[in-house]
Amino acid sequence: MRDGLKTERNGKGMIELTNVSKIYGSMVKAVDNLNLVIPDGEIFGFLGPNGAGKTTTIKMITGVLNPNSGTIRVNGKDIQREPLEVKKQIGYVPDNPNIFLRLKGIEYLNFMADMYDVSTDERKERVESLAKRFGMADVLNDRIQSYSHGMRQKIIIMGVLVHNPSVWILDEPMTGLDPRSSFMLKEMMREHADSGNTVFFSTHILDVAEKLCDRVAIINKGQILFCGTLEEMREHFKKNASLENIFLELTESEE
Amino acid sequence: MKNKTLLLAKTLIKNGEGIGLKGSTAFAKAVVILVFLIIIPMFMSGIAFVVAALLGMLRQIGQEGIILTWGLAINSAVVFIFGIFYIISTFYFSSDIELLLPLPLKPRQIIGAKFIVVAVYEYLTTAVVFVPMWLTYGIKMGSGLLYYVYGLIIFLLIPFVPLTAASILIMLIMRFFNLSRHKDTVKVVGGMLGIFIGLGINVVVQNVTTGMSQEQVMELIQKGNNSLIGLAAGIFPTTRWGAEALVFHAQLSGFISFLLYTGFSILFYYALLWLGELIYLRGVIGLSEAGSRRNRTKQVQLEKTAVKGSVIRTYTLVELKLLFRTPIYFINCVMINFLYPVFFLFPLLVQNEEVSIIQELSKALNKPGTEGMILAGSFALALFLGGTNATTATAISREGQELFVKKYLPVSYRQQLTAKLLSGFILGLVAIIMMVLFAVIVFNLEWWLGLIILATAWLPILYTSLTGLLIDLYNPKLDWDNEQKAVKQNVNVVYNMLAGILPAGLTIAFIGFAFNLVWAIIVLVGFYGLLSFILAKLLYTIGVKRFCMLEG
Repeated sequence: MRDGLKTERNGKGMIELTNVSKIYGSMVKAVDNLNLVIPDGEIFGFLGPNGAGKTTTIKMITGVLNPNSGTIRVNGKDIQREPLEVKKQIGYVPDNPNIFLRLKGIEYLNFMADMYDVSTDERKERVESLAKRFGMADVLNDRIQSYSHGMRQKIIIMGVLVHNPSVWILDEPMTGLDPRSSFMLKEMMREHADSGNTVFFSTHILDVAEKLCDRVAIINKGQILFCGTLEEMREHFKKNASLENIFLELTESEE
Repeated sequence: MKNKTLLLAKTLIKNGEGIGLKGSTAFAKAVVILVFLIIIPMFMSGIAFVVAALLGMLRQIGQEGIILTWGLAINSAVVFIFGIFYIISTFYFSSDIELLLPLPLKPRQIIGAKFIVVAVYEYLTTAVVFVPMWLTYGIKMGSGLLYYVYGLIIFLLIPFVPLTAASILIMLIMRFFNLSRHKDTVKVVGGMLGIFIGLGINVVVQNVTTGMSQEQVMELIQKGNNSLIGLAAGIFPTTRWGAEALVFHAQLSGFISFLLYTGFSILFYYALLWLGELIYLRGVIGLSEAGSRRNRTKQVQLEKTAVKGSVIRTYTLVELKLLFRTPIYFINCVMINFLYPVFFLFPLLVQNEEVSIIQELSKALNKPGTEGMILAGSFALALFLGGTNATTATAISREGQELFVKKYLPVSYRQQLTAKLLSGFILGLVAIIMMVLFAVIVFNLEWWLGLIILATAWLPILYTSLTGLLIDLYNPKLDWDNEQKAVKQNVNVVYNMLAGILPAGLTIAFIGFAFNLVWAIIVLVGFYGLLSFILAKLLYTIGVKRFCMLEG
């Protein structure tokens, strides 16, 4: 089953991780020699149980953490060598939406827009339409502190969309969203991927992955156990059982 | 059954992690240990020397006991002032409240545990003053074993009365005013209350001591046998019994005083628990639902607000906004700059003596030929003001768990550090401007000299902003769960104070050379300009690298 580790595509992917490892402290390998190619034009799901290394991997791609070894390229650019060029292309929705709580919603959006160098005209247009789509127009003048978890999640997503990045990286984005917003976000992800961009998101909810992804990778204990399309994965485990079973099987067989 | 209060207190302390060494580099740890091994003992032995010298004098008139009263009274006042801050944030605004409320705990167990936690933090500060005083007195006076036993217990009980007073004050305010919607305002007002009560105590003490006629004081002194103890213990009456217990430890009266002191301290504690059982819950429930008043009427005016700005400008403004809007940051980093003149002015105004200090100082400041000295003095003052400002010394620490955001923004670390430096520098400038205005208006300082000070004394502010940021880059305290810990319990603030005060001493020593104004400008601007230049180079090379390495 180790051969499942190899990524099948050889084409130039939007995100490429080569032999990436991350060690916390002195011993624990949170991510262990990870190889992954995330192609453009697809929604790529990153599956794994809690503590598998999903967030660590995502944080290395976004430049939050420095890998101990290996290289990470986005659109052919190395995050270590050209960090700003890479960061500009990425829109990152972290798993913790409790940031900048003392800013007002609009102040946060303006801050992000300035950091990502968005012109006045573009930001006005986008803030307006995003606020409408997410039903946030009435609360932009309030401090984020007063927002519910779901609203905080929404303002973060708006902060990403306001700079219109080509690569979306979302860490557990559906957590806390109401069904309507969740549906809308999925639609937007689909749209974004269909117009040739990359959408990479992590989840431990298999149902979401099954409905949304073109391709998935399953990670456990810092190692990729499987990478491929849903079809291939089903094929790979002929049983036709639900992804949940496969997932359980995958994670258990490693122990 | 185990005592739940103590169990909870132990957990809270373990969870709290006092001075923030966890996750620091070995180098940072070494520096912390060095400071604790050198600076604090130095400070304590300084107190010991002063106490010893005073004892020699006071002993001749039979008033040596007043040292202990002073020590206990000062400690009590400090505990009370810090206590107001601590109590507001640990009793009402700590993030663990939401976790504790659903547990099967009685309000008095939560209050008791939190009280103990605060008391333990207070020991760290009171020990610095009390221990050298206690030991010096004991050794000098050849006190017996009982003195040390009493002393230890009295030390442990010092926070009880003032902290209870602070707790009851805060609990009553929280209970009877519905302040849940104004969480941030409460913290700011509470903090200011603490500062003004501190100033008030200062005034009262001055009035008590100066308000008595010379004859009355002389009479008291002549009585000997430590009759002055009662005089100094005015504000916290129990300190009198504490001092008397120590002074008369060998006699029955000392034992009675000791019983009174411990008895009242414990009584206060139980009174607090009783009151807490009655009113704590009503004040605390619902506080976590931050005020969600929707400004529906105020729709965002995108025409005005959504305008592009430069990265540095926007970043600096956001830093400043967060400093102004976060109560603990506001009190420690912002308000203090506006308040310095008040601190200086207050004692001057309340003095009622014949010779006006204001006039004397005005004369001194306007004596011809002293301009060079005045400039050097301003530099020293600027170093002190900048060094005590916590803004850059906590610029990285304040990020806390949010640091990761700054790592994924497509903004170079160089620019980010520049913005952080700027925010601290701007606030430091406020302090200098306030002081110069104050000097010009109150002391009739020549306005042109004021302008020269403004034109040059921003350099020491820049210097302390740079040292603060570099210190915090090397030893940031990122692992905190309430903002208080990022600023108030951050040892980097102390380091930067030293980084400001040490060269301030050097600059004051330089006054002795009495340069004329031109030479003073050349030497001071040259020295601090060069120093700042070197530090800026360091910030933009190794500082940037260090920021890159930091992982939240």
